[in-house]
Amino acid sequence: MSLAAEAFVSQMAAAEPWPENATLYQPLKEDQILLSDCASSLAVQTYLRMCGLPVQVACRANAEYMSPSGKVPFVHVGNQVVSELGPIVQFTKAKGHSLSDGLDDVQRAEMKAYMELVNNMLLTAELYIQWCDDATASEISRPRYSSPYSWPLNHILAYQKQWEVRRKMNAIGWGGKTLEQVCRIRSAFATSSAQFFFQPTELDALVFGHLFTILTTRLTSTELAERIKSYSNLLSFCRRIEQSYFEDKILSVSLSLFIPSLIPSL
Amino acid sequence: MAAPLELYCWRGDWGLPSIDTECLTVLAYSKFAGAPLKIHKITNPWKSPTGTLPALKTREEGSISKPSNIIIHLRKQKYNADYDLSAKEGADTLAFVSLLEEKLLPALIYTQWVDSKNYVDVTRSWYAENISFPLNFFLPNRMQNQQLEKLRLVRGDPMLEPGEQLEKELYRDALECMTLLSQRLGSHKFFFGDFPSSLDAYVFGHLAPLLKIKLPNGKLQQHLNSLDNLRNFCSNILLLYFPSTGQDNSSHKTPTHADGSDFDSEPHLRRNQILSALFAFGAMLGYAILTGIVSIERVQPQRALQARKRADDEEAD
Amino acid sequence: MGTVHARSLDPLPMHGPELGVHADDIDTPEIEQDSKQEVLENKDVVVQRVHIDGLGRTKEDLLTYEIADVFQAKNLIDVMKKSHEARQKLLRLGIFRKVEVVIDTSQGVDALPNGLDVTFEVTELRRMTGSYNTMVGNNEGSMVLGLKLPNLLGRAEKLTFQFSYGTKETSYGLSFFKPQPGHFERNVSVNLYKVTGQFPWSSLRETDRGISTELTFPLWKTNQTLKWEGVWRELGCLARTASFAVREESGHSLKSSLSHAMVIDTRNSSILPRKGGLLKIHQELAGYTGGDASFLKEDFELQLNRTLFWDSVLSASLWGGLLLPIGDKPTCIADRFYLGGPTSIRGFSMYSMGPQSEGDYLGGEAYWAGGLHVYTPLPFRPGRGGFGDLFRTHFFLNAGNLCNLNYGEGPQAHLKKLAECIRWSYGVGIVLRLGNIARLELNYCIPMGVQSGDRICDGVQFGAGIRFL
Repeated sequence: MSLAAEAFVSQMAAAEPWPENATLYQPLKEDQILLSDCASSLAVQTYLRMCGLPVQVACRANAEYMSPSGKVPFVHVGNQVVSELGPIVQFTKAKGHSLSDGLDDVQRAEMKAYMELVNNMLLTAELYIQWCDDATASEISRPRYSSPYSWPLNHILAYQKQWEVRRKMNAIGWGGKTLEQVCRIRSAFATSSAQFFFQPTELDALVFGHLFTILTTRLTSTELAERIKSYSNLLSFCRRIEQSYFEDKILSVSLSLFIPSLIPSL
Repeated sequence: MAAPLELYCWRGDWGLPSIDTECLTVLAYSKFAGAPLKIHKITNPWKSPTGTLPALKTREEGSISKPSNIIIHLRKQKYNADYDLSAKEGADTLAFVSLLEEKLLPALIYTQWVDSKNYVDVTRSWYAENISFPLNFFLPNRMQNQQLEKLRLVRGDPMLEPGEQLEKELYRDALECMTLLSQRLGSHKFFFGDFPSSLDAYVFGHLAPLLKIKLPNGKLQQHLNSLDNLRNFCSNILLLYFPSTGQDNSSHKTPTHADGSDFDSEPHLRRNQILSALFAFGAMLGYAILTGIVSIERVQPQRALQARKRADDEEAD
Repeated sequence: MGTVHARSLDPLPMHGPELGVHADDIDTPEIEQDSKQEVLENKDVVVQRVHIDGLGRTKEDLLTYEIADVFQAKNLIDVMKKSHEARQKLLRLGIFRKVEVVIDTSQGVDALPNGLDVTFEVTELRRMTGSYNTMVGNNEGSMVLGLKLPNLLGRAEKLTFQFSYGTKETSYGLSFFKPQPGHFERNVSVNLYKVTGQFPWSSLRETDRGISTELTFPLWKTNQTLKWEGVWRELGCLARTASFAVREESGHSLKSSLSHAMVIDTRNSSILPRKGGLLKIHQELAGYTGGDASFLKEDFELQLNRTLFWDSVLSASLWGGLLLPIGDKPTCIADRFYLGGPTSIRGFSMYSMGPQSEGDYLGGEAYWAGGLHVYTPLPFRPGRGGFGDLFRTHFFLNAGNLCNLNYGEGPQAHLKKLAECIRWSYGVGIVLRLGNIARLELNYCIPMGVQSGDRICDGVQFGAGIRFL
C-alpha cells in the first residue's frame, strides 16, 4: 500500500470508535503459552483496562504466526491488526485514548526510555530463562511450545525457536547483566513513578504484566520471586494495580514452571 | 604515567575523530573521564587485537571489544564519568541507552548500510578508498552483510527485507527517539548537568556521524538539523574535546552533485553498454560457428550457377 | 561379422522418428503393397540371434524383455515390424540417446539358410547431464540448476535434482525413479522437495517441504497410482493487508496422506485430441498416518472428444471435487478447491470465484465445472502443413460453481446449492499448441451469471498452461 493510502486508512481508523468485539489473541493458555508471552499479554490487557477499553481474550495455537510482527499478543480491532504494546499504545492514542497526556515532555521522554529498558531487560531475561537454560528448555519450554503440533513437526519447530533465541542472545551478549541490577533498577523507577506520574501510564502496565507473571508462577526455586518480593514498594505496586483493575476477574495465571535451579550465570 | 591502555579504532573523517558509532562512544567517554589512552586509528579491522573495532588492549586482562565492556573496564580503572550521578540518574542512563539501541541504532544502520544510494555513494566508497588493498574489495561487502544481520537481530525478524515500508518504520522510530532526546536534554549543556557522563558519550556516538557525514538520502539528517539543542550538543563536544580533528577534514572529497556526476559518466556509460553488447554478440556468433550451428560456406558464384543448372536439369527428368 | 544393412522399405523408416516429433501426428503408416514385398512376405524366416551393441553400464537382463518379441517374427515384414516396436520400447526406457536396427542374414557355424540376425546399435545417454536456466517474471528472477542422472544403476533408474534460487524464494527437488525391469509401466518413485508459492488471489504465501513415494502400475485398461505423501506446510500472509480469515490460517501444519488415482486415457494426444476420452479419478485420505490435517478429498476429470465434419473437433469436459473434513477441525485453505481463470472457467480472473473475505478468495469444499468446445482449424487455413497446423480456433462454453459445505444440511441441500447461482461464460479464441505438453490461448470471453464477490476478466484473456477445462 502506498504511503498516502496508508495514511488515509489510519486516519479512517482513528475516526472509528473502539468496537465492542475487539479481540486479543495469545497462545493457548493451558498448554502452550510461555512465561514471556504471558507477561506481554498481561501487560497489554492491563493497559487496555487502564484505558477503559473492553477486549475479549482469544487463544489460538498459531497466534505467533498470525501476528503481523511475529510477536504476541496482538489485537484485532475493527479490521486492523496491531501487535505488541508499543504500537498498541500508539493505536489507542490515535483513537483518542491516552494515559500519558498529562505528562510533560521530559517525563514522557523518560517514560518511553524506561519502557524500552523494561523490554530490553525483563523480556530478554525471561527469554533467556526459558530457552538458554538447558534444563528449563528441555523440560518446560520445548514441550509446551510444541504441544499443538504432531510428530515430527513439534520437534522441528521447538528446536528452531530455541536456536533462534540462543542466536539472538549470543549476538547481544546477554548473560552479563545480573538480576540484582535489574531489580534495583525496577525499584528505583517504581519509586520515581509513584512520585512523578500521578496517574498510571503504559509503563506501569508493562511493569505490572512482567512482575505479576513472575510472582505468580509456581517455581521450585523461588529465588527470582523472592528477590522481587524483597522490594516492598514493588509488591505494593503490584497489589495496587491488581486491586484497581482486576477486581472483577481472578487473575490466575495457571502456569507452572518448574525451574530446577536458578540460572548460574545470573 | 599510568600503564598505557591502547585503543584501536576506525579512522576519522568529515570532522569526526572516528567514523564508527561505537568507536566514537568509547573515544568520547575516555575524554570525559580523562582516561589516558594511546589511540591507534587504523583502517584494517584485522589489525586490531580482537579482530573488530573498537578494541581496548589492556596489560592484565587481554583485549576487550564491546563499548559497554570497555566503559566498564575504564570505570574499574577509576576513570568514571558517572561518579556524581544519583541512583535515578543511573537508571535513566540505562533507560536512554536502551532507547538509543532499540530505536535509533536500527535506523542508523539502515541509512548508512542498507539504503542503496547511501551505501554505494558514500559508505562503500569511503571504505573502499580507505581500506588497504586487497581487503577493500570484499571487506565493505562483508561488513554490509554483518550490519544487515545485526539489523535483523535487533528487530527480531530473520526475514527482514529492505524496502520502503521498513524504511518508513525505522525512520519514524528514529525521529521519535531524537525528539525525545531533545526534550530530555532541554536547554542543558549535557544530559545530567554541567559535566558529561556516559549517556552523553552514547548519544554523541550515535548522533555525530549522522550530523557530519553527508548522505544523499538524508531524511534523518534533516530532522536532526532541525533539533537545535542536539546539534549544538554535538558541536560542543567536538569543539571541547576533539579540537584537532576539525583540520584533518579536508582530505575527503565530498560527493557534490547528484545529476552532474551522472551526466559526466554518461558517455562512458553509453560506451560501456555498446562495448558489452558487441562483446556478447561476438561471443554468441563465435560459439555458433564453432559448434556448427551456423556454418559459413564459401561458394564461388560460378559454381553456384552450375549447381543450380544441374538441379534444374534433374527436375526436368 | 560383416554388416549388410538391410534395405529399408520406405513406409517403415529404420532411423525412426526423432523423439521430438509428436507421435500422435504420425498416423500408423499403411504398408504399400508391391510385388517385392509379396515375395518377402511369403518367405519364412527365423530370427536366430538378437544382439545389442554399445552397452556400457546398462544391465542386459533389463533389455531382454524389450527385445523378446523379435524372436517371434515369422517373416521378413514381421521382423521389421517387431524390431521397430522393440526399438520404440528401448527408446522409451529413457536410457539411450539413439537406437539403430540392423537386420542381417545369419553368419557362422549354426546359421540356418533363412536365419536372420538382428542387431540393435545403441548409444547410451551420458552419465550425468546438467542444465542451467535463468527465469525472470513477476518481479522475481531466479536461477535454475538441473542435474539428471539417467540409468543410475544400470536398470533404467533415474535420479533428478533441480534447484531454483530466486530473489524471493528458493526451492529444490530431488526425485528417484525406478521402473520394474520388463514392465516399464510399473514403477516406483520417491521425491523430496521444497516448494514455495505465492498466491496473490488469496494473499497467501505457502512453503511446502515434503517427501512422497509413488507406485504406478497398469491394471487392465487403466493406469493406477498409489501415493503416500508427508508435507510440512507453512502458510503466511503475502501482504499486511491480507484479510483476517487468511491471517487465521497462518502457521505450520503437517499433512500425511495416502492417495490413489486412476486414469483411463484413450485420446490420441493430450493437447488438442481429435478422438478418445479421458477419465481421471483421484482420492486422498489424510490424517490416518499422522499429521495435523485430517480430511477425505475426491475429485474427478472427464473429457470426451469426437471429430466432426471438416476437420473440426467437438470436446466436452467435466470436472468435480469434494473435500470432507474428518473430525472437528475445519479445512485448511491450502487443501480447498479453487475455480476460475483462463485454465478453468474463462472470463473470470485467476481463482477468483466463490467464497471470499475482504477481497481474498478462500476456496471452496465442493465444486463442479464443465466445458464444451468446438475446435476448428484457422479460417482460410494459412500456413497449412507447417506452422499453421499448430493453431486452432475454438468456440467454448464454460460453466461451474464452487461452494462450501455447511454441515447439518443434508446432501440434497448441498446439491441444490451447487446448482443455483451457476457461473458460466462463452466466447471464441485461438489456441496454440506448444510441443506435446502445453498450450496457449487467446480468448474473447463473455462471463455471465457473475455473483457478487467474483472478479471477472471480460474481453480478451490470455492463458497458458497444461490442464485446461
